[in-house]
Amino acid sequence: MSRVLRDRRAILLFIVPGFILYTVLVILPVLWSAYYTFFGGMIGSSKWSFIGLDNYARLFQDKKFAAALMVNVRYIAMTTFGQVIFGLLLALMFKFWVKRFGSSVRTIVFFPVVLPVVAVGQLFTKIYEIQPYYGLLNSLLQGVGLGNLVYPWIGKADTALIALAAMDIWTAMGFYSIILYGALLDIPGDILEAAEIDGCNAWQLFRRILLPLLRPILLTCFVFSFTGTVKMFESALALTRGGPGTATTSLSMYMYNTAFSFQKTGYASVIALFIFLLCVFGARLIRAFDRKD
Amino acid sequence: MFRKGFALLLALCLVLSATYALAEQPTKKITILSIWAEDNDNGILLTKLTDQFIAEVNPNFSYEYELVSADNLRQKVATMAASNDLPDVFVYESGTPLIPFIEDGYVLDITQALTDLGVLDKLDAGAVAILSNLTSTEHIYDLPLGLNVEGFWYNKALFAQAGIEAAPTTYAEMQTACEKLMAAGIQPFSVGGADKWPATRLINAYVMRKLGVDALAKCAAGEMSYVNDGIIEGAQLLQDMCNLGYFGEGPTTVDYNTAANMLMSGQSAMLYNGSWFTQSLASADNPAGDDGIGFFNIPVVEGGVGTLTEYSMNCGNILCLSAAKYDDATAAWLKYMVSNIGNYAIQNSGTLKGYTITEYPETLSNYTIMVADEFSKVTAASTWFEATMDSEMTATAQQNVQSLMNGDMTAQEYAQALQDVYDAAN
Repeated sequence: MSRVLRDRRAILLFIVPGFILYTVLVILPVLWSAYYTFFGGMIGSSKWSFIGLDNYARLFQDKKFAAALMVNVRYIAMTTFGQVIFGLLLALMFKFWVKRFGSSVRTIVFFPVVLPVVAVGQLFTKIYEIQPYYGLLNSLLQGVGLGNLVYPWIGKADTALIALAAMDIWTAMGFYSIILYGALLDIPGDILEAAEIDGCNAWQLFRRILLPLLRPILLTCFVFSFTGTVKMFESALALTRGGPGTATTSLSMYMYNTAFSFQKTGYASVIALFIFLLCVFGARLIRAFDRKD
Repeated sequence: MFRKGFALLLALCLVLSATYALAEQPTKKITILSIWAEDNDNGILLTKLTDQFIAEVNPNFSYEYELVSADNLRQKVATMAASNDLPDVFVYESGTPLIPFIEDGYVLDITQALTDLGVLDKLDAGAVAILSNLTSTEHIYDLPLGLNVEGFWYNKALFAQAGIEAAPTTYAEMQTACEKLMAAGIQPFSVGGADKWPATRLINAYVMRKLGVDALAKCAAGEMSYVNDGIIEGAQLLQDMCNLGYFGEGPTTVDYNTAANMLMSGQSAMLYNGSWFTQSLASADNPAGDDGIGFFNIPVVEGGVGTLTEYSMNCGNILCLSAAKYDDATAAWLKYMVSNIGNYAIQNSGTLKGYTITEYPETLSNYTIMVADEFSKVTAASTWFEATMDSEMTATAQQNVQSLMNGDMTAQEYAQALQDVYDAAN
């Protein structure tokens, strides 16, 4: 094996096909997009012209961009933590609490992951419904005597993003629960037994034993969730269409509208480049926690 | 015997020549990009008439029917135009969104094409006037797929239940009617706030009555600011109606279809809508029956310049043809469609599409007659709120109307946001 890995031709054979594919599918489009940032108008139209750095200058003055960025940051904070933490809680439940019908429970919890986003959006639209009939949530609130809490959850700016994040947490937490459950199964049983013999209570077991051992997988889950949520597009489109107002309009949605509705390909490319850098920066930030050890 | 033989030979020749003529037709496959499913609304019209064209005129003609959601129509067409690959025929939005395609020569000059084909007179003159006004061009570059008046539809039974004897003719009377309905425990209005455009229509209604049918065109031309009394008062009225509960709880969560169904099923008393609504009203599924819903034009505003014979009108979504892909085969299809749409639509769905009609059905629904009656009163027309706005301004108007309805934005801020987008673009 080591002889093969010392062979330059073998290394080239392993790397070159993947590198070519990655270059064509990722690096070139990014560079292409960066090139577009110096142009105004829509590609193919008579207004497509070189405008230098004007698009970059506009980015820092654009209030809609700033608003979309804030929506993204709040959504990422809520959804990333929600997905991973609820995933972890479910994984702990699978490991220590669910003794019978374990595989059935795990299948049910994982089920939302395979549902189409549009179907989930329609489902939650009905759950949050207020007119002409109360949906599940408002009916429940009224049913338990909390009628004063009945609210247009996706119709008001103060709750729409939370309602959207709740939907996306529900959809993805099953995925993270399965990953973390797999990591929990990999922890040797004798470590857990030794901790029990030493008198660890549940919290100490979690804090001192499980959390450090799960840390690499947890960080990977955070990276997965972050890169998934930074895109924030289809679920918002399916549930709130970016509204009310711009309360759930993300950077991706703003970029899409700028490129295809407002026909400003160059400026949309600047926003796309920003999202790309945000992705790289966020993933590096999460990985920084890994380096400490 | 000789005569019989001759007649047989003649018939055979006729059949053979007809078959030969059909076989000689050019082979062509077109793509039709639409926002309506093949079994719905104008989707039926486009597919059934094209099928008829294939059967009657050109058996070598075929088509691919591609569907896109109305929300994504502009993006899809813009992307295809950018890659120089517009579909042969595509549904689009009339007015401002079409202008860049006209300037870049992407879409067919319909006036010229129909003149060459000798069927320009098949288009309704009113529809042609609306379309050419919207693009500010002498010729038209799109075909109408509707000819609509807009206004308020009301549930007659709920009006009677609340003791309202006549449809309102002024905004003050409409306010009184709302109060009576609320007192009777009836929701006065439903509105598809989730779809946004039904809400901006309500502002537009007030603006055209306060400042006249050309108010928004003046704003677009820079002759008047968007921060004007009409828009501010109209936006304020919409916000006040929300605060008073006239639209029920959470109106920004209700979509257009739900709002329309609420009116028909007696869950709300009034709805602002266009005459395309007659297709749903005339359906056997309408719980209000064939005479349960009435129509009244936008009431007048005290101190405003608008009158009751001025209507908000439009041609619905329109149909465009790619200039690059237009050839003899498509020309034959275009001629057939333009010659038959009017009759087909009135006979099969009781709707007016903006084409001349020569064969009326024996019976028309009450709703179609009602709309035809409204058409006869029109002396001047306005368009919808966003007709003269570009895409960015349209998005601003529609996104902010939800904030306005929720009280997150004042009427003054709403108008100012429009002016800001206008100033940035001009």
